Amino acid sequence: MNRVTTETPPEAALPLDVRASTHPHSGRAEHDLPVFEVGDLNVYYAGFQAVRDVNITVRQREITALIGPSGCGKTTVLRCFNRMNDLIPTARVEGKIDYHGIDLYHRAVNPVEVRRRIGMVFQKPNPFPKSIYDNVAYGPRVAGMKGDMDERVERALRSAALWDEVKDRLKSSALGLSGGQQQRVCIARAIAVEPDVILMDEPCSALDPIATGRIEDLMREIKERYTIMIVTHNMQQAARISDMCAFFTTEVNETSDTRTGLLIEFDSTAKMFSNPSDERTENYVTGRFG
Amino acid sequence: MNDPSTGPVRLAYSAELDQLRLQVEVMAIRVDENLERMREALANGDTAIVAVALAADDEIDAMNVSLTERCYDLLRREAPMASDLRFIVSVLRILGELERIGDLALRVVKLSNDHHLLAGSATSFEILRTMTDQAIERYRQSLRAWASMDLVLANAIVTAVHDMDAFFERLLVELFHLQGPDATRIAVSSFYAGRALERINDHAAIIAARLRYLLTGDPGHLNAEVR
Repeated sequence: MNRVTTETPPEAALPLDVRASTHPHSGRAEHDLPVFEVGDLNVYYAGFQAVRDVNITVRQREITALIGPSGCGKTTVLRCFNRMNDLIPTARVEGKIDYHGIDLYHRAVNPVEVRRRIGMVFQKPNPFPKSIYDNVAYGPRVAGMKGDMDERVERALRSAALWDEVKDRLKSSALGLSGGQQQRVCIARAIAVEPDVILMDEPCSALDPIATGRIEDLMREIKERYTIMIVTHNMQQAARISDMCAFFTTEVNETSDTRTGLLIEFDSTAKMFSNPSDERTENYVTGRFG
Repeated sequence: MNDPSTGPVRLAYSAELDQLRLQVEVMAIRVDENLERMREALANGDTAIVAVALAADDEIDAMNVSLTERCYDLLRREAPMASDLRFIVSVLRILGELERIGDLALRVVKLSNDHHLLAGSATSFEILRTMTDQAIERYRQSLRAWASMDLVLANAIVTAVHDMDAFFERLLVELFHLQGPDATRIAVSSFYAGRALERINDHAAIIAARLRYLLTGDPGHLNAEVR
């Protein structure tokens, strides 16, 4: 992945210590603290521009939903927040993503550390073919985290509202769980490494309504401790669980017949779903125009 | 370049919303007809009108129930958002206002039996007739604003200085000074009518206030609904 960005002093980028207590804005109310400040973000895959001109601020302990039609770049943008696009050779990210004031894409920033602090839960539950316990313990072990592993696993499973359902079968394969339980194992796995942010890419799209409800309850509960960003096609879900909402849509490049995603509106979810400022948002959230 | 994947969708839902808007209008016209009967009953004491107005009010009540159910059904089925959500919750509010206006009109219509009493005090009777005209005019303005989704008119209705309160005050003063064997009965009936007319005027203004919220999405306009 290539990166074009303004230079940030390397000392500011290391060691990516972003705990709120040491944050330069720590005198402000915790809720107002910006976790991510995104400026003029543009993402390209080879010569094709996938997303353009994204400007948003994601605040601590809030759930931010990214919504929009298929192909509008929601997932592309989400993947920028933990540098998942680094794994795509042709991907190029331009613009600014500051994480607690630190340029996330500075060459001195370690992407592995980024992904430990900024975890991700994917659309389809993807537990490892291991026991429930080992799935949750995997991240802390890889990260070399010290302390009582049993306690860490239990804490993560409790946080993921799964402990009571699996405490008697921790050594059983995670693949034997239901889809909703598997997704909560994945959330527990993300939580176990004590991240700061959890990115969720359509985490409920493969789940039934009951399992979806459990995940949504869980998100509401853990947002007291984590900043959450979620991509969802389910507008009711975005309306139910998010505090802030970003609406993306696509524009068609007439010469190349390609589509580029762009941010149309970023505002409180209450505003976006009751009285959006932009007609395109209105058309999308009412679902009356494609 | 025209994008074939874009354009109106959920056409049946859009049609249902349009239909709902028109049916609210029909219900409002039924209420308007009863307001006219109210004016007639108050002016002439035509007791035959009572039965007609009662039957019309039953129809208004049935429409209220039916359209309320339709709103609940749309909320359940379509999960409306943004202007659609504002529209449906506003319809629910307006249905309640229309139903209430209908009831108040009926209250005055039923006083046609006491027409000789009401008309027995020329001054207070004239005030009541003026209040009737004002309340009906304000209602019709609100109905016109709703039918054309006219924000300018809705603003004008809500912000206009109406002298309904002043007329009601004058009515009370007149009633306090009534004398004679029928004074109490005249006062009670006139107060009853005056209070209903004042409330009709307020409910009409609430319809306009709700229309402002519907059209702008500004929750600040909801304050104007508090009476």
